[in-house]
Amino acid sequence: MSSEPLILGIETSCDETAVGIVRGRKLLANVISSSVEEHARFGGVVPEIASRAHLEAMPSVIATALSEAKIKLNDLDAITVTAGPGLIGALVVGTSSAAGLALGLNKPLYGVNHLSAHIAVDALDSDHPLDPAIALLVSGGHSSILQVNNLTSDVKTLGSTIDDAAGEAFDKVARLLELPFPGGPSIDHDALSGNPIAIEFPRGLTLAKDLADHKYDFSFSGLKTAVARYLQQIPNYQRADVSASFQEAVVDVLLIKTIAAAKASGIETIIIAGGVAANSRLRELAQDRTESAGLLLRIPPRKLCTDNGAMVAALGSLAVTQGIAPSTLGFGPDSSSGIARPIF
Amino acid sequence: MTTTLVIDTSTSRTTVGIVVDGKLEFVAQQDDPLAHAEVLPKFASQALEKFPVIDLVAVGMGPGPFTGLRAGISFAQSFALARNIKWRGICSLDAIAAVIQDSNFIVEVDARRKERFFARYENGKRMGEPDVAQLVELKALDLPIYGEDSSQYPDPLAIANLAQSGEIFQSPIYVRRPDAYPAPVGVKFRPMTQLDLVPIFAIEKASYGVEAWSMAQLKEESAGKDRWYVVAERDGAVIGYAGVLNLAGVADVLTVTVDEANRRKGIARELLRRVIDWTRTQKCEAIMLEVKVGNEQAMPLYKSFGFIEISRRKDYYGPGKSAIVMRKEL
Ligand SMILES: [Zn+2]
Repeated sequence: MSSEPLILGIETSCDETAVGIVRGRKLLANVISSSVEEHARFGGVVPEIASRAHLEAMPSVIATALSEAKIKLNDLDAITVTAGPGLIGALVVGTSSAAGLALGLNKPLYGVNHLSAHIAVDALDSDHPLDPAIALLVSGGHSSILQVNNLTSDVKTLGSTIDDAAGEAFDKVARLLELPFPGGPSIDHDALSGNPIAIEFPRGLTLAKDLADHKYDFSFSGLKTAVARYLQQIPNYQRADVSASFQEAVVDVLLIKTIAAAKASGIETIIIAGGVAANSRLRELAQDRTESAGLLLRIPPRKLCTDNGAMVAALGSLAVTQGIAPSTLGFGPDSSSGIARPIF
Repeated sequence: MTTTLVIDTSTSRTTVGIVVDGKLEFVAQQDDPLAHAEVLPKFASQALEKFPVIDLVAVGMGPGPFTGLRAGISFAQSFALARNIKWRGICSLDAIAAVIQDSNFIVEVDARRKERFFARYENGKRMGEPDVAQLVELKALDLPIYGEDSSQYPDPLAIANLAQSGEIFQSPIYVRRPDAYPAPVGVKFRPMTQLDLVPIFAIEKASYGVEAWSMAQLKEESAGKDRWYVVAERDGAVIGYAGVLNLAGVADVLTVTVDEANRRKGIARELLRRVIDWTRTQKCEAIMLEVKVGNEQAMPLYKSFGFIEISRRKDYYGPGKSAIVMRKEL
């Protein structure tokens, strides 16, 4: 196999049916079919609707990715697929499709961890080493600070959320503000015209008494309650100010803790990954603060932050390049798989 | 010579087979309702070791529990894409019926939630589309029943044969609608308060005329013990309500009423769903309701939630006005 393996990656852990193709660290195709509009009516992702949509979209998403990358299925060196964490019914469609492709083509199959893949996407179209790094992984399902010594073999969780994920907090507050689902982009947009210091919302787990046990942990449920209380007390509130101030509180605490973790570890690279990494205020403030702290910031392009197939292919490419053995065929999707298991 | 790769994951059994020119040459099966995604690739790889060249993929399209069902279909779809061959989907119930000798019978598979997917067969032909019902309802039809309840599963050879000459299905046979329904636009649901009594009374009177509860009855009823009332409102106005009573572990739906102008918009369905959810939080074993004979428009709603008729009460609503009693196990 060449040192630049040609890898196809399938991602179906939530509501995006996504296929990406990479050659080594080069991105060739990234095709996403989303069922988000169907979920918007419910104000959240409905697992059954997502799974149904994955099955319907898969063949055409694969075909589109192949033509975008200008390759044939037979050219591939391996198939990679998100095996977890995620919605079980949604994951099943991806892993079964991937197994069908791999057995049909007689090519190796890698089941990979979705969270690791969010970080691996940073390798694409860059020659910067991925590890060691401190990674802030923020999405609708996860918020954690990771010490990435080696992405495929040695990732330590330094802290994570003790209640809601950051993306979840965005969704819930968006609902309070009657902004459309998904909440992240809605609040990001609404906040553009608001004042981020208009309202002093709490920064969870930043007080001295919390730091002893939760140095790198997050908590966003108190913030959500504070927003709800504010809306009750000030019925004619300025929505943009609430959006901006809420967003500022989330972003502030994410960065305080990530930068503290980098300083404590002596690791000089920070990677911010996951859907919330697409947030414009997080990107802006991260740039400022890492610069003044003398740290190097890596943050993937926006479209590679939210769930996609390219990130799965990127991690697969890393595994193949490092000579890691393919997954055995009996691996099943694991809805609660942790980052300690990057390759199945 | 045609070599067919056969796959079915519509029941608790995962089946992989190889059929060469009408002869079953390989079969691997495992019974585990939660392991289709793990078992299928292993079995398929064993089959392909013995029969590396495949001409056609035949796959059971259900009906069956969704997660397992989709494992088989997505595998078949992608395998065929990789090999540049055709795949054909068949009705999994037909593949059980194909080996039954009777002339008039029912085939069923587990649909979870105490329900079965089923179809009726007459002289070798399926009568209509597959449907969903409880096993007791099927037994009431008084026909021989074959299927998962008696350990009969889709037959691999029959799957291959049906793919050649039976009815072909392009998408999964879902039968039951997905669990989630779009909430009626702009409608909010919340527990009832005393302030809602006045608008509720107005809807009650307009809907039931002389049979309506009086204000006093409403007040007493809604404040009673072990009861729960929920209202639907749009733009701050109450447009519907529902109530339920928990009588020692068996719940009784007291009312589901929607204001005339707002009917047929899925609001009653949402009210009833919330009522059922409440009874689940109360750990009730079953929920019952009475519906007036002649009120046929409400029946499909109750049936879609799995309520089945258990008896009739003569003159329940007054002379000549009988009630159908329906019950749903929780
Ligand atoms: Zn993600």
